Amino acid sequence: MRGVMLATAAAAAFGLVAGPAAAQCDPDYRGVTLTAGSQTGPFIASAVQVAGASWAEKTCGRVEVVEFPFGELYPKYLTAMVAGEASFDVITFAPAWTPDFAPYLAEMPDYIRRTRVWQDIHPVYRDRLMVWNGKHLSQTIDGDLHTLSYRTDLFNDPAEQEAFEDRYGYALDVPQSWDQYYDVAEFFTRPDDGLWGTAEAFRRGGQQFWFFFTHAASYTNHPDNPGSMFFDPDTMDALINTQGWVKALEDYIRSVEYSPPGALNFSSGDIRTAFAGGQVAMNFDWGDTGVIAADPEQSQVSGNVGSSVVPGSSRIWNHKTDQWDEMDEVVKSPFMAFGGWQAAVPGSSRKIEAAWDFIEHLSNPENSGVAAITGGSGVNPYRFSHFTNVDRWLGIFSADEAEMYLAAQKGSLDAPNVAIDMRLPGYFSYTEVLEIELSKALSGDVSPKEALDAIAEEWNDLTDEFGRDAQLAAYRSSMGLPPL
Amino acid sequence: MREPIKYVFIWPAFLVVLIVALFPLFYSLIVSFQSMRLVPPVPPRFVGLGNYADLLGQERFRSVVGTTSLIVFCSVTVQYVLGFAIALALHGKVAAERLFRVTFLLPMLMAPIAVAMVARMLFHSTVGPINEFFTLVGLPNLPFLTKASWALGAIITVEVWQWTPFVILMMLAGLQTLPSEVYEAADLENATPWQQFWGITFPMLLPISVAVIFIRVIESFKILDTVFVLTGGGPGISTETLTLFAYQEGFKKFNLGYTSALSFLFLIVIILFGVVYLAVLRPTLEKRS
Repeated sequence: MRGVMLATAAAAAFGLVAGPAAAQCDPDYRGVTLTAGSQTGPFIASAVQVAGASWAEKTCGRVEVVEFPFGELYPKYLTAMVAGEASFDVITFAPAWTPDFAPYLAEMPDYIRRTRVWQDIHPVYRDRLMVWNGKHLSQTIDGDLHTLSYRTDLFNDPAEQEAFEDRYGYALDVPQSWDQYYDVAEFFTRPDDGLWGTAEAFRRGGQQFWFFFTHAASYTNHPDNPGSMFFDPDTMDALINTQGWVKALEDYIRSVEYSPPGALNFSSGDIRTAFAGGQVAMNFDWGDTGVIAADPEQSQVSGNVGSSVVPGSSRIWNHKTDQWDEMDEVVKSPFMAFGGWQAAVPGSSRKIEAAWDFIEHLSNPENSGVAAITGGSGVNPYRFSHFTNVDRWLGIFSADEAEMYLAAQKGSLDAPNVAIDMRLPGYFSYTEVLEIELSKALSGDVSPKEALDAIAEEWNDLTDEFGRDAQLAAYRSSMGLPPL
Repeated sequence: MREPIKYVFIWPAFLVVLIVALFPLFYSLIVSFQSMRLVPPVPPRFVGLGNYADLLGQERFRSVVGTTSLIVFCSVTVQYVLGFAIALALHGKVAAERLFRVTFLLPMLMAPIAVAMVARMLFHSTVGPINEFFTLVGLPNLPFLTKASWALGAIITVEVWQWTPFVILMMLAGLQTLPSEVYEAADLENATPWQQFWGITFPMLLPISVAVIFIRVIESFKILDTVFVLTGGGPGISTETLTLFAYQEGFKKFNLGYTSALSFLFLIVIILFGVVYLAVLRPTLEKRS
């Protein structure tokens, strides 16, 4: 009897000690340490670390963030996954790598797709970039697309407006077409005043080709031929040397004229600095330019940052008829450049359940909402709640700036002719030749047409080498088209 | 054969060397005869000398060999001439010689990646101090990293800055071993410093010069960090070197068969250079000894 009483007392005492601790761990991942891979911080890595700390508090588990330079991420992840090593439980990566990673990733558990906040993710991410071959293999943790930033102090200056109208015959306003973009860029290019019209990334390895793609989307993403921007979705023939692409490359090269000196060596980081430093009247970039330029500690133009959807075109090349189609109005084709960081769980992880729980925590509306308005997190909005909760953004922007910034971001995502970035197996093989030929065209070594012909030839060779049927199926999947 | 037991003791060590040193080489050689890609995964198939033929027929490969050779030739030449000159100056008991010795050696102690980062800032087109200075004195800014010829010049400059100290160190060590009696005799014969240099110093330091240049050439052929950070191989492929090309093929495109073939061609280039270099200099060196 005494033994029973002692046992009961001990059990009660244990309950008093362990009960509250267990209750705090929801779900209980005590003893679980997740290894999450990220590019070197602060961008993205800091968001993962912050979420890791709060996940640890919530679940009693632990998240160890290992960081690598961006250029090292792909080989590090791929070699680990191909070898079946459990080096990473969570990987954060570019959507373009999904085709190469897909065979090694664990599918997202159903319960995440049944949560009430699932529909809060914008469908461009939820139904397109997070999906490969009909399966949800990754979770968007950052929204990425190109938007236009411009200086409202210059655009709203009556003297500038009058001078612009006198010179170009129409009112100075946010450029709606690329022709207007170059008028504005030319107008504000005043080297003697230390002011240039625009800034784009031109450096090989400096996010160069995404800027070229943004130009090209306006001329090649034909609304009647979905998924035909890069390749013919019926034959997988490269379309990168059509007249639409030639026009885009001519435009892209023209941008150098209106950019600050040495722009050929600019990466996206440089163009943010140029805009925030008041060197340029406008630029187009990921959402980072808007956030950095609005910060008085980093910017000389804070309080004067306008945002808009990137310009479009009223002429779009139709590869089926081999001619330009004239549209009734300017068609905006915002480009989902890069497409936003994704998080996924390698199938070789031994903690798949915990890893997905962490990803769900990292990307839930509360945590991602805070990350999106934290300067330096690198997280841009991708959930509806990120766009609707305007008050949250007032810590960064003025009310006007916030309204324009969010309207530009959401307007781009909602655009009917939004263009999705290329995602293909062997992605780096395709983009390598692209970068080399673009650099040659930018430095004037070859003409735009010669550069694009060389790229098309190499892309076709690569497609044949990798297997045309397999590549075609992958391309159609990436563009949201049904199998042939 | 009289003492077969000795083979029992030799073979374990020999096997370890074989496995550790030669197996990766043989494996890599076998892979170089295959078409093997990890991305997208393609089953390996035997292609014989196909990878080698592709590479040799590829304009890009010939271009990177040319670029690498140019960087190596220019940078090692300047390193040797400059390094030898500075070593002679330091050997000549200049004032504050010890301070100069330490200062001159500092660049060599820095990590190449850090040197390249610093150089990238220095040569930056708009915020770099070099172009800022040009602006200050009314000169046009120079496209250090955006025009092929300037970018190559920038890479060579960085190489020279970082590795001349190695030549200084080696040549200074050589100079300190030279017998003073020879110079005393030359003084008695009223030989000018220039005659002493060409008649005594240079010939006596020839063996060490040959070794220094050989080491620097082989090391320079492996240049990666500086190019990777400074220009990324651009503009276009105008500053791409053999190692950067191999990195792109191996770790970006995971084209393993091709990369193995590239590595062996790289090895062949180095061996050929070494054989020719030593064959050309052997008569001179043998005459000296």
